[in-house]
Amino acid sequence: KLVDESLPRERSHHRQVSGGYIYTEYHPMEEIYEWMTQIQKNNSEMVTQHILGMTFENRPMYYLKISQPSNKPKKIIWMDCGIHAREWISPAFCQWFVKEILQNYKSDPKISRFLQNLDLYVLPVLNIDGYLYSWKKDRLWRKNRSPFENGTCYGIDLNRNFNAFWGTIGASFNCSSDVFCGHRPEEAPESSAVAQFIRSKKSDILCYLTIHSYGQLILIPYGFTTKPPNEELMQVAEEAAAALAGKYGTNYKVGVPSSVLYSNSGSSRDWAHMIGIPFSFTFELRDTGTHGFLLPTDQIQPTCEETMLAVTTIIDYVDKKYFPGGAVMLTSSSLGLTLCLSIVFTWMVS
Amino acid sequence: MFSPFQDIDGVGHKYCLELELEDVLDKDRTVSCSAEVLYPLGSTGSAPDVQVSVQGELRSTQEADQEFYNRMRSLEQELVAENIPDSHGNIPPELEPIHLLAWAASGYVIWQNSTENTKFHLAQVKHVKQVKRSDEDLQFDYVVLLHEMVSQVNNFTPKNPFLGCFKIPAV
Repeated sequence: KLVDESLPRERSHHRQVSGGYIYTEYHPMEEIYEWMTQIQKNNSEMVTQHILGMTFENRPMYYLKISQPSNKPKKIIWMDCGIHAREWISPAFCQWFVKEILQNYKSDPKISRFLQNLDLYVLPVLNIDGYLYSWKKDRLWRKNRSPFENGTCYGIDLNRNFNAFWGTIGASFNCSSDVFCGHRPEEAPESSAVAQFIRSKKSDILCYLTIHSYGQLILIPYGFTTKPPNEELMQVAEEAAAALAGKYGTNYKVGVPSSVLYSNSGSSRDWAHMIGIPFSFTFELRDTGTHGFLLPTDQIQPTCEETMLAVTTIIDYVDKKYFPGGAVMLTSSSLGLTLCLSIVFTWMVS
Repeated sequence: MFSPFQDIDGVGHKYCLELELEDVLDKDRTVSCSAEVLYPLGSTGSAPDVQVSVQGELRSTQEADQEFYNRMRSLEQELVAENIPDSHGNIPPELEPIHLLAWAASGYVIWQNSTENTKFHLAQVKHVKQVKRSDEDLQFDYVVLLHEMVSQVNNFTPKNPFLGCFKIPAV
């Protein structure tokens, strides 16, 4: 299943990155685990695989760290996919994103610029137990697989289980609800693992991205307010949506959830922003209801291509904001020294 | 998306909409239409009142309907199918009309169960079974899953089970 003879060009194009993996299909969890191992093996100078924690059913949650070797300290961009089991296009995008970065970081000036300053942390499937369940038992499952009420009711909505106005609007205390927020924030091992990690690195994380479907939206904090916390978040999101639309004309709406979707509480995006991460966005990928969660495989490529433009626009903005005018944070005292060094270096290279 | 409404005292909220209808089978074909949707006050459970006027012509599906009808009539066994689309979003071409029929019928169920705070879509046809009839009509029993955005529910059970008939004229 990992090899497709009908697309030889695509296969050889991807061989260096991950040996013939087909990014235009949906992959079950076993294959995604194998893919992560392969990606690290084939790109060991740039990628390392790390464990975040364990799911309820005791499966390892791995994230990939993409980091250009350097003696400079870097800041972090975090992206997670698959927090909701049935949103299959989301893990597909995380895999595509990793592949694109690794394929193009040497040749793409935008990517090579931001990789000088930023490390990318990608969690391809956050809700592993749920994702597996959507493959084997119930394609439209959403939540995790924590059992309640003596095993008669399952699942916490992981995106209602973060400590951001937890248990208020748009959530339920009833286990049988698809927006069951749990009995306390971070009760689910999956949300707890993510929260713990992000808390530990929060001073270095500049941007938190969480990928969902469907709806064609870029959401900014907060799910429980009516106005954006600041204009900049809206601006960046709008820029990203414009870049996305440029590819195939796909129309995304941008804003706080209450104005474009529905109010909610306990979301990871809101929590990340509340603990101090300046840029925090939820993406709701294709489509707007025609196929909904069952997005046909022939839309994986165009969805990923256009979303890539939006995500790199955001990362690019963050990079230029915190690392203006080149790879070094210039202060007035070091300016002269830095300019001298770069002139010497350039002369030597040419 | 959020159009301003007119508050009609003691009656409900009225929305006036200008829409573009897109032909599912012919994406480049659009028709303008305008609609008035009146949501009744309170939780009476009655469907919103909808008035639509279409500025232009909807394409005739007579030929396709006839082809589908003839194909169903020529089957040796009653049609049974499930999971349309499948997990990967695919629909076998011969089941496309079955899916479109479900979509149309779901539209009626959605209308009957809509309020200002709901947003429904057809998520999947879970099961469809053709019912044998002694006359020349076609009958299908569907189990459809509707996804409701606000509550994120995807196993929505309508208050009244839907039983309706689509008349496809015989030759």
